[in-house]
Amino acid sequence: MKPWMRTVGLTLACTAAAGGAGALALVYSGWYDSSATQPHTPPVNAVLEAALQRSITVRAADIAVPPLDDPQRAIDGFRLFRAHCVQCHGAPGVAPEPFARGLMPAPAALVDTARHWPPSEIYWVIRQGVKMTGMPAWQYRMSDAGMWDVVAFMKVLPGLSPAQYRDWESRYAGSGAPGPGPAVPAASRAAVPDATDLRLGDAETGRRVMQQYLCVTCHAIPGVVGANRHVGPPLGGIANQRYIAGILPNTPANLVRWLRDPSAIDPMSAMPDLDVSEQDARDMAAFLYTLDDAR
Amino acid sequence: MSQAKTPGIFMDCLSHAGRLGLGVRPRGICRLPAWLGAGLLLAALSGCGEPAAPLAPPAQASALPGADVARGRQRIAEYGCASCHTIPGVRGPSARVGPPLRHLASRAYLAGVLANTPGNLVRWLRDPPAISPRTAMPNLGLSEADARDVAAYLLTLR
Repeated sequence: MKPWMRTVGLTLACTAAAGGAGALALVYSGWYDSSATQPHTPPVNAVLEAALQRSITVRAADIAVPPLDDPQRAIDGFRLFRAHCVQCHGAPGVAPEPFARGLMPAPAALVDTARHWPPSEIYWVIRQGVKMTGMPAWQYRMSDAGMWDVVAFMKVLPGLSPAQYRDWESRYAGSGAPGPGPAVPAASRAAVPDATDLRLGDAETGRRVMQQYLCVTCHAIPGVVGANRHVGPPLGGIANQRYIAGILPNTPANLVRWLRDPSAIDPMSAMPDLDVSEQDARDMAAFLYTLDDAR
Repeated sequence: MSQAKTPGIFMDCLSHAGRLGLGVRPRGICRLPAWLGAGLLLAALSGCGEPAAPLAPPAQASALPGADVARGRQRIAEYGCASCHTIPGVRGPSARVGPPLRHLASRAYLAGVLANTPGNLVRWLRDPPAISPRTAMPNLGLSEADARDVAAYLLTLR
């Protein structure tokens, strides 16, 4: 062995050892926050998203997609969707159940998924699930044809208005599938009478709360990690917006009303009722009013 | 080369290479086992082709045959859309009365109530209050042809 090889080898070994020790110290110190209330840092989020996307694309590359346009297939898929998917993912005008709103990462709005993901990859995710998310592997709980039925329904889903989705509910839901009843917000904080010691809205708290009500799955929101979808309108510049939802003059009181009870203001809206408490709505409004045209 | 002096892993690789007919004679350190190399290569190659089409692709201006994007942009100026909306490519006061129309083609819903399809966009432009009675957007009396042209332009805003 030549001397320079020895130097290079030793340097590499020392660097590796130092790196390993650093990583170990980082893990053991508990520096990384594993709570579902604290979002990933933007770089970590970007790496995780890219790794997930590539992992799925590579593995789903050879899946042959069966015909999906049979209307009966979509109806069968809707029944499965209603029984197993809507609880976490929601639907047009239908909020995910309270337990699902606290998940990190947030369960995707499937309208957006259908608009951007190929059928083979959607099928693969339904079949295999996703590690360290709430997404289970359905292959052990659903037939192969059933999983493709769900994909067939997801092809129809982005074309349904909230009113049309309700129409599907009344026409096709009664097949014995154990779908959820009307959302019961009994366990939610909103059902508790508001405390008398409400404080003024706090923008930083509001920014964190945006994650907990799944705002991030539908809206592009400057300053909120991972919020880059276009199901609802982008919220950048909302402070300068004249109307809320095209209907309500944009005042702080109206914004709080809208956040708490959108269906009372616009029964046709795709924005669901998320059982937002008065305090959380105030905090979110305070945050949203920091989003002026400059952002 | 005597077998007694050769580490086991070396022979493994050698036999892999032999089996694959590579005719490689590893020297000094061993190459990656053939199965690992092939696996990495496969992983690198798969998914590198054309990305597969989405399940339900967002609306395209081409879905409106006969509609003209350039004429649509002109109609937007004539109908004064920019007095309420900020519209990329259309000069105006950066108004914030209606929502800004950037990314309109990427949006899943129109006015929060209607799936964003080319047909629905034309319907919405022709008579918004008929679809959402409480909307602040007025009926501007667009003809079918004008609405199709305007929709074609708006669907270029990704």
